[in-house]
Amino acid sequence: MSGLSDILHLLFTANLWQATLAAAVLLLLPALGGVISERSGVVNIAMEGMMLTGAFFGVVADLAWHNAWLATGVAVLAGALMATIHAVVSIQFRADQIVSGIAINIFAAGLTVFLVNRIYGLQDVGHVGPTEGLPYINVPGLDQIPFFGKVLFQQNVVVYMALVLLVLVHVILFRTRLGLRIRAVGEHPQAADTAGLNVYAIRYSSVITSGLLSGLAGAFLAIGVSNTFVPNMTDGRGYIALAAMIFGKWTPFGAFVACLIFGLGQAVYDNNSIIHVSPYLLSMLPYILTLVVLAGVVGRSTPPAADGLPYVPGSE
Amino acid sequence: MPLGSVVFAFVVGALICLVTGANPIDAYAGLVCGGLGIGCTQGENPALQISNTIVFFIPLVTTGVAVALPFRAGLFNIGAEGQLLAGSVACAAIGIKFSTLPAPILLPMVLIGGMAAGAVWAGIAGVLKATVGAHEVVTTIMLNYVAQWLVRYLIIGGPLQLGPGTSKSVPIGEGARLATLLPADNSMIIFGLPASVYRVHTGLLISLLAAAVFAFLLWRTAFGYEIRAVGQSQKAARYAGVSVRRTIIVTMLIAGAFSGLAGAVQIAGVDHNLTDKYFSDTTGFDAIAVALLGLGSAVGIILAALLFGALHSGGAIMQSDAGISSNLVLVLQALILFSIAANFVGAIRRGLPFGGAPAALPPELPPAAVLMSEAAAPPPEK
Repeated sequence: MSGLSDILHLLFTANLWQATLAAAVLLLLPALGGVISERSGVVNIAMEGMMLTGAFFGVVADLAWHNAWLATGVAVLAGALMATIHAVVSIQFRADQIVSGIAINIFAAGLTVFLVNRIYGLQDVGHVGPTEGLPYINVPGLDQIPFFGKVLFQQNVVVYMALVLLVLVHVILFRTRLGLRIRAVGEHPQAADTAGLNVYAIRYSSVITSGLLSGLAGAFLAIGVSNTFVPNMTDGRGYIALAAMIFGKWTPFGAFVACLIFGLGQAVYDNNSIIHVSPYLLSMLPYILTLVVLAGVVGRSTPPAADGLPYVPGSE
Repeated sequence: MPLGSVVFAFVVGALICLVTGANPIDAYAGLVCGGLGIGCTQGENPALQISNTIVFFIPLVTTGVAVALPFRAGLFNIGAEGQLLAGSVACAAIGIKFSTLPAPILLPMVLIGGMAAGAVWAGIAGVLKATVGAHEVVTTIMLNYVAQWLVRYLIIGGPLQLGPGTSKSVPIGEGARLATLLPADNSMIIFGLPASVYRVHTGLLISLLAAAVFAFLLWRTAFGYEIRAVGQSQKAARYAGVSVRRTIIVTMLIAGAFSGLAGAVQIAGVDHNLTDKYFSDTTGFDAIAVALLGLGSAVGIILAALLFGALHSGGAIMQSDAGISSNLVLVLQALILFSIAANFVGAIRRGLPFGGAPAALPPELPPAAVLMSEAAAPPPEK
């Protein structure tokens, strides 16, 4: 079959893997945020909303100030602000974390379009100029390495940041005292409290960190990839990131592998002219794969023990 | 508490309007006119607005029930949207395939087909929960997206597409359609408009029947008792001889059937074909707010569905009359959810500063949270 050999050929092109990595990073950032938040014991299904909020405010700021870095800062803060709402509602008020997460996603979807209408009226939001988005950077020297140079060193600046953050999150979670504390709070908050840890403070910072990361992903999407804002532009990516987190069993590198698999699927589709599957059918794959993982076909995926339970000081 | 949550949402919503330079009085006047037909200034027909509210109300009741029933068993069904879409797809597929059959045969076929499809969609989550302990929140989220992409596939390039370049399906046969409540007769004038303008349809009776079945099932049958027993304590239910696994699976199947019915009724009663409108449909998510705001009771669900039906119908008028995006309705809905979940109103009434609840007080948990902590644990292996 020439079709199959064409696909195989495609798998050895640098273009494909360059696109795979970029697509994966878009999912990796919110997935890392989810890992941190859930490791501390706060269920986070709100990455979608935080990312969307980041994307919107990133575009608004970039259009106003024509500075991608300032805009990225605004996007990251906007994501963190949404996360703070989730934190206050679910940690301080001990609300149901799922309901709070759903509310964040609905809030983000409604508020962004409401604000588009307030700020830009009935017109389009407008496009960010080509020089005002987040830059693509070729690392001098390294980008000349055959194959790997193109895949790893000719990318958007956010891709490099995300890879550094990936290692950073892994090291912090599993090699530092802070990481031990985050995990302790997520597995057994009562014991952690008894040991003198501030459960609320650790959970707050973890949830807000997830908002920072999701906001950065929103900035990458809006002023790195699309260069404009359209309503609901995240289109389920926050939920795919959630899937990647579960797929990767709540570990940073596990989530990254899942993101790469999902990103590869996207890139193969975008770059081939052989497979004539509907893109819509293909879009189901990440969700179906996650269901298969959850069904235990690829081994059990168990969340942190206290994930989703509000902590009440003095409770058993 | 529910009423307080609504007031809280409207107050915060008004603040958001003020901050962004919109007039909250204009906004809410638009909502009241569009939702209830009261105080309209731009010549809207009040009866037509009420008709629109009821059209939104119908699927909200049925899906609200589909969220509330699993709540009672300690299960959080946030997959009502996916189940609704599965029901819509089944209804459309059957209604197109057998379009020549007469109504007495075809109408039951599309409605039962929709219920079956919804039940299968929810059943997947139920079986995964009961057998391997996969959290139903995560599985139903995944199933929502599978259903959403399935609809896109079917009507864009897929087998149900009307024609190249369109993003809607072939219309269902005449026999698969639910009658409107008023005669489809252009010569008959009701409240100043031809009767055929009003889209209120007989699905209204189906949704009210669904609410009644829900209440009867929950409070008057042995299975309803088992659902509540599992919801209160899986352990105690098991000692009482209830099969927790069977209860989880059957509860999800019934919930899915309700959602699927809502989707089928939407096709059979209002739209008559699948359209791109279904990509961004949010009924199944609104249903979560409906079930929580209605405190999981049939009467509460009906009242909450009326509120959200009116908000959706009102949003369109608010946008056209006051120039304020109908997305304000989503903002209000999210605020209601925050407020119910966190019991902001209770905190305000106690006069406590932010989170200053002393540890001695019993925790103020919303009903969902109590159920969720039970539901979070997979059933132990026997």
